[in-house]
Amino acid sequence: MLAAVSAVTFGWILTPVRADGDSMLPTYSSGKLTLVNRLAYVSNRPRRGDIVAIRLAGPRVVYIKRVVGLPGERIAVTDGDVTINGAPLVEPYVRHPGAWNVQEVSLAPDEYFVVGDNRGASDFGRVDADRILGRLVF
Amino acid sequence: MRWFQVRAGVLLPLLLGAGCAWLGDERAIRARLGDLAGTINARASEGLGSVTRAAEISAFFTDDVVVELGEGSAPIQGRETLIGMAMRLQPRLSEFTVAFADVTVRVAEDGQSADVSLTAEFIRKDPGHRQSMDAREFKLTMRRDDGEWKIARMTAVDTLK
Repeated sequence: MLAAVSAVTFGWILTPVRADGDSMLPTYSSGKLTLVNRLAYVSNRPRRGDIVAIRLAGPRVVYIKRVVGLPGERIAVTDGDVTINGAPLVEPYVRHPGAWNVQEVSLAPDEYFVVGDNRGASDFGRVDADRILGRLVF
Repeated sequence: MRWFQVRAGVLLPLLLGAGCAWLGDERAIRARLGDLAGTINARASEGLGSVTRAAEISAFFTDDVVVELGEGSAPIQGRETLIGMAMRLQPRLSEFTVAFADVTVRVAEDGQSADVSLTAEFIRKDPGHRQSMDAREFKLTMRRDDGEWKIARMTAVDTLK
C-alpha cells in the first residue's frame, strides 16, 4: 500500500527533478534535487515569478525556468532589463545579470515567456502552456 | 453459439498476431535507437576517423536522410553529407555521449514507416570530470529499408521559441 502511494505521489503528483547546469543560479545549483508539483496548474495558471518545469518530448527530461511573461503581454529585454507592457520588471532573484536582448514580442493567449535566473548562461523564449508540467515546490 | 466461437477462434489469433507485429515494430525501433546511441558512445573517444566507424554510424540513416537543426541552419541532405560533417566535427563530438529519453513511437498502418519523438541528452565530461548535460527534442521519421529501421528525417524541435 505504501509503495503504491509512493509510486503515485512521486510518479504523477510530485515528480523529482535534478537541476543540471548553471542556468538557474543562484536559485538552483547544478545537482540540486527538487520536486515538481504536477497539480499546481490544474485549477490555476502559472504566475509571474513561478519556477516551472517544461517538458521536451516527455516528462523525464525537463527545462527548469522562471516565468517572466504571461499570455497576452508584450515583453521586451534591453541589455538585460525586462519590460512588460512597457513597464520595467523588478527581479530581485537575478544575481547574475546578462546583457541579453529581445525585441518586443506579444505573447499569444497560450504562451508564456520563460528564462533562467542566471541570465548570462540561460536559454530563454516563449513556451506553449501545454508544455508546462508544473511548479517547482522548493 | 458455435458460429460465434468459430469466428472468435479465427479472429482472436489474427488480432493478437497483428498486435504482436505492431509491438514488434515499436520494440525494434526502440532497440535500433538504443543501438545508435550505443554505437555513438562506444567509441566516442576513438573518433569517427575510421571508415568502419563511419559505416557503422551511417547504417542507421537512409541514403536520402534529411536533418533539420532549426532556424539559422540549412538542412543537411543525404547520408554522405551527414557523416562527412560528423567526421569534421569529431574533435568536439567525441567529448559527448548521447542518450535518448521519453521515446514515443507511432508505427504507420502499413508498417513501413514510423514517427518518433524523443529527447536527446548530450552529456559532456570535461577533463576535470565535471559533467554537464544539454537536452534537445527531436522528431524523427523512420523508414524500413532493407529490413532495418533507419532514420529518414530528423527535425529538431524548438521547445523555447
